[in-house]
Amino acid sequence: MTLDWRFWFLIPMIMALATVILFPTAYLFWMSTQHWLVTDPDRYFAGLDNFLRLLGGSDFWQALRVTGAYLALSTILMLGLGMGLALTFARAGSGVMRAIVVMPLVIPPVVAGFTWRFLLNGEIGFIGAFLLPMTGLDVNLLAEPRAALVSVVIADVWSRTPFMFLIFLAALQSIPRDYYEAARMDGANPFHEFFFVTLPMLRGALFVAVLFRLVDAINTFELIFVMTRGGPGRATQILSIFGWRTAFQELDFGQAAALGVVMLAICLTAAMLVFRQFVKGDPGTTGT
Amino acid sequence: MRPPGRQNTALSVLRIGFLGAVLVFVIFPLVWLAIASLKTRAAALAVPPTVIFTPDFAAYEKIVASGLLDAFLNSFTIAITNVLLSLLIGVPAAYALARMRGALQENLSFWVLSIRLAPLFAVILPLYVLFQQLGLLDTRLAVSLAHLTLTLPLSVWLLMTYFRAMPLDLDEAAMLDGAKPWQTLLMVIVPVARPMIASVAVIVFIFSWNEFLLAFFLTSRDAQTVPVVVAGLAGTMSFDWPLIAAISICSMIPALIFVGFAQRHIVEGLASGAVK
Repeated sequence: MTLDWRFWFLIPMIMALATVILFPTAYLFWMSTQHWLVTDPDRYFAGLDNFLRLLGGSDFWQALRVTGAYLALSTILMLGLGMGLALTFARAGSGVMRAIVVMPLVIPPVVAGFTWRFLLNGEIGFIGAFLLPMTGLDVNLLAEPRAALVSVVIADVWSRTPFMFLIFLAALQSIPRDYYEAARMDGANPFHEFFFVTLPMLRGALFVAVLFRLVDAINTFELIFVMTRGGPGRATQILSIFGWRTAFQELDFGQAAALGVVMLAICLTAAMLVFRQFVKGDPGTTGT
Repeated sequence: MRPPGRQNTALSVLRIGFLGAVLVFVIFPLVWLAIASLKTRAAALAVPPTVIFTPDFAAYEKIVASGLLDAFLNSFTIAITNVLLSLLIGVPAAYALARMRGALQENLSFWVLSIRLAPLFAVILPLYVLFQQLGLLDTRLAVSLAHLTLTLPLSVWLLMTYFRAMPLDLDEAAMLDGAKPWQTLLMVIVPVARPMIASVAVIVFIFSWNEFLLAFFLTSRDAQTVPVVVAGLAGTMSFDWPLIAAISICSMIPALIFVGFAQRHIVEGLASGAVK
């Protein structure tokens, strides 16, 4: 027996993933070193030129700032809301209610973006043009930089919070009941229980949730594309939108590839930091 | 927070209020979208909104009349192709990984999982160039192959977790009867795991159906999927809000079927990809 049967079973997967992931990633690194303008037939090795132009321009740093703000705001809202929902459903709420709460997760993000744009629009939107003016606030939500960023975050919260909710619910359900009984015997009230039993036990799930949020924020595209196209100005232009502009508006494939390398580096660094925390901490809560 | 010995009234009022607010937040946009799809263009844009109106199905008729059904056909073909490829490649791989032990298995499965953590943008430009060289840009085949970046690791991971939990007795009994590994897989494992395989198929279908970024970059006209068409219409100057709303409603059909069909099983599958 030279080759185990398992090898033959794995070969198609390895070949498929090599074609759509390994090879493209390697190719990305090569592209990032090329002078590669779609409009310019001349293509040659440019060393680190793409990276230098990328990091030397203001667009990249602006996009990084927007992505950071977007990530921070959406993480806080989604973790809070997802945790609140998980705690609620761990004790109450029917299967039908859970199905409704989870529904946005399976609706195309492009539809989520369109729906919220329709609601928040300053001229015709039910919220933006009808409810908001009634409260006396005079803001055109999608046309004012700060409000636009908050608006796309709200649409993303609507679309992606169910994922956080499911992670937390699964983790909550794996906490042994004895812990709560023991805490109650010691005279703990519900708030003590949350801060001294639930939260420490959810540490692992929290790390996983934050990591997924980071990757999802880096991957967010269509929601913002449909709502604001990165505008007004560059106010909601996160890295992925900037990448699309660079590749398909400025037709600079070399620099867009350099941006791809930077985005890859950000995600890998974050993943490594989280996994290191895992090894240090008690991984029991997530059943890793 | 586990069932209490004593009810804390303040806390349960808070809980009901919170749940009510979330349900409104989740449902209202969808109801509003559905209503808009049944209004005339003028009525959909009226401020304050028209509350009483006669339903108008012009937007839905327009989907048929203006050839937008092609996008639905594209999305459907791409998603089905992707489901078939993911299962055909994923089921044997997941079974092999589930029946492996040691460092190689850990490294391989970790590698599969870590793909979920890489930014999609990193593979898009290379895939664009690759498909351009092959003359496959703007074809359904290119999009369903590209979707494997997302759906293959996902299905391998979900199936592997499931296969590993299945008792080894089944394999051993089959082996004793002289079955080869592929016979064991096809005649013993797959029939038993059918509910899970069906759930994975549904999850993969929805992923592929909803996916935007790859479909957007790799298509220009002929192979455009529903999400790409929605984004395209929302980018034109003369918004036809009811039409976009109607397409959006239609694009949710797989999701709504999902809510009805095996919801619990699939929800656990979606979550376990992250937690297990």
